[in-house]
Amino acid sequence: MPQVRTLLSTILLPLLLVGTAAARVPQDPPSEETIQFFKVNCFSCHTIGGGALTGPDLKGLHERRDREWAVRFIRDPKAVLDSGDPYASALASEYRGVVMPTLPGIDATLAGKLYDLIQLESGLEKSRFEGVQVSDRPLNAADVEKGRALFQGSKAFTAGAPACISCHAIAGIGGLGGGKLGPDLTAAYSRLEGRKALVAWLAAPPSPVMQPLFTGHELNEDEILAVVALLKDAAGRGEREADSTSLTFILLGIGVCAALLVVFDLAWRNRFRAVRRPLVARG
Amino acid sequence: MDVRSQISMVFHLDKCIGCHTCSIACKNVWTDREGTEYMWWNNVETKPGTGYPTKWEDQDHYKGGWEAKGGELELKSTSKRSLVPNIFHNPSQPSMDDYYEPWTYKYEELFNAPEGDDQPTAIPVSMVTGEPIDVESGPNWDDDLGGSEIYASNDPNMDGLNAEQRAQMLAIERLAFFYLPRICNHCMNPACVAACPSGALYKRGEDGIVLLNQDRCRAWRSCIPACPYKKTYYNWSTGKSEKCILCFPRLESGQAPACFHSCVGRIRYIGNVLYDADRIRELATLRDEELVEGQRSMILDPHDPDVIAAAKANGVPDSIIASAQKSPTYKYVKEWKIALPLHVEYRTFPMLFYVPPLLPVMSSTQGDVVKNDLDSLFADIEAARAPMEYLGKLFSGGNLGKLRYALRKQLAVRIWRRHVTVGDISEEKALAALNDADCTCEEADAIYRLSALSTFDDRFVVPPFQREMAIEMLEDPHEHRSSMGFGARVAPKRS
Repeated sequence: MPQVRTLLSTILLPLLLVGTAAARVPQDPPSEETIQFFKVNCFSCHTIGGGALTGPDLKGLHERRDREWAVRFIRDPKAVLDSGDPYASALASEYRGVVMPTLPGIDATLAGKLYDLIQLESGLEKSRFEGVQVSDRPLNAADVEKGRALFQGSKAFTAGAPACISCHAIAGIGGLGGGKLGPDLTAAYSRLEGRKALVAWLAAPPSPVMQPLFTGHELNEDEILAVVALLKDAAGRGEREADSTSLTFILLGIGVCAALLVVFDLAWRNRFRAVRRPLVARG
Repeated sequence: MDVRSQISMVFHLDKCIGCHTCSIACKNVWTDREGTEYMWWNNVETKPGTGYPTKWEDQDHYKGGWEAKGGELELKSTSKRSLVPNIFHNPSQPSMDDYYEPWTYKYEELFNAPEGDDQPTAIPVSMVTGEPIDVESGPNWDDDLGGSEIYASNDPNMDGLNAEQRAQMLAIERLAFFYLPRICNHCMNPACVAACPSGALYKRGEDGIVLLNQDRCRAWRSCIPACPYKKTYYNWSTGKSEKCILCFPRLESGQAPACFHSCVGRIRYIGNVLYDADRIRELATLRDEELVEGQRSMILDPHDPDVIAAAKANGVPDSIIASAQKSPTYKYVKEWKIALPLHVEYRTFPMLFYVPPLLPVMSSTQGDVVKNDLDSLFADIEAARAPMEYLGKLFSGGNLGKLRYALRKQLAVRIWRRHVTVGDISEEKALAALNDADCTCEEADAIYRLSALSTFDDRFVVPPFQREMAIEMLEDPHEHRSSMGFGARVAPKRS
């Protein structure tokens, strides 16, 4: 996975020393589970030959890093980084401090298989993991509108994915914002540094919460573009005023509460109306 | 024809002296327990007055009884639609204050108070909270027109009267009032039974006494707004409702209920009547003015062979039919037609009937001499102190014809008896009065005897209750005895 640039010369020798093992082309075709694991866990940040997204392009990983290092890194990226590994530190600084998450269910065997898969795919003319090929056409206002409809759920995703608003809030949507379970998406466009990474994310959301929800309910190309358009539009609006939203929410709550009390009072206005006391008071 | 036997009562209001002995007898027997202090299963009200609980006759507020809507009978207090929003609390119930907050006095302070300049006093304390209270009202707070500007003038029955009639009722030296003792009416068509969601209220098959099963009551309190006479009460201590049981344990042993037994004025009559239960639905939807006659027509002649045959076919024992033939209430209600139901327009067909009071024109004074002539004493009932419209609202559902008939006959009996005993009224005049009142000499004498001279046995014709038969219908006594022994209704827990 690491991309070799500045440190290429310093590690060239060790790489060559272990080269005999690292360079061997895997004989067995990769298993379906490994491909699926890659698709689900790696593909939203990495391509093989499709260029860097959130993480580096993995094409030619076996030429840059040896098997032993790669397996160690895949199993626990943070530990490698914390150990002061210079290559890992360089990667971290290059990718804005984003550290690769520790994958659930990863072990040495699986990491090795992934390494083999990457090596195999790197050798191909066109890897199946080149990245989501979504059109580069400019996004227009219609896309934003469609994205808004998808976000709010007024228009359903074709594959049945849940609407974004159920978990996320974003600037410019709804008087009460959106869901509070997921992060506010206003800055998502800038956070992921643009369209390409965002498209990859949306094609296969990798977060632990989203992943099971979207597996089998993937967004299609038009929908991805529409949502990206919306996110871009929202990024243009700047930071949401979160405080004002929660104030609205509180005020609305008080208002609804008062309205309900009025309704209750009307519905049950006849109870506990004294008879004798008013009679005496009138007399 | 579905002939059944029903206990019914007559209260002769002209004889009521308003002594409250009946109330005290009832209270001492039944409602001296915690949670029942405020209940008066028997109470005596002064009319005009707002009664107990305050303005109980105001059904716009309390929603008691039935109303006939498009030929169908509907409870005023509840419906399928209003049940859900009111599921936790029945609106339209009287508050404790509308009854009155029961109180006692701290008598021990008369003895324990530290020595001082003032006499020690027993301060009133609430029997509910135990805290000292300002006594503001009681169950007969407006007795004898006490506080009449507030209570009497707010009598719901005065609503239909014009200003002149109101003034007439409340004018000094013409004040009209009479007493109205009330107990549960043990209605033929009880609204409380219909409203109870738990099925705790029921009308006993063999005698029509309306009872409230304490085991089944779930404190929904639906009966309390539903009963237009406000004669079911909620016991705040047990969390169950209670009501007059017509002293059925006394009845079952051949005694009259405590309030009947103790009545000083001997105003109370009890006896069973046979009635046709098939006709209740049809008759309860009549117009207000037709209801008195409708209820009367439901009560059957116990001497009619067809009725007797139908009663027997329906399982009414011979002894109960024989009792119905001697019933004083049958005579008052059906034969003589001088007893009328209270507020028949609530359509519950109360089985307590009232002989409406004759309130003669008061004698006037000339100088210091009281003018006391026969003309005013036996004047036409129209000139009586209480306007017909007022009595009509109470006793005849607004049908003044039925009320006039009852009053005129009573007056004719008086004229006839004056002729017989004093002789200052000519026979001609007395017979004419009887004739006008649809009455014969024999009937007049019979009314006189039962009203004025009646003994215990004349007034209280308690039917044999045949409890052994009623019990055998529910369970086999021999099996019950062998499985449970005597004396326990619920089998003892065995470990």
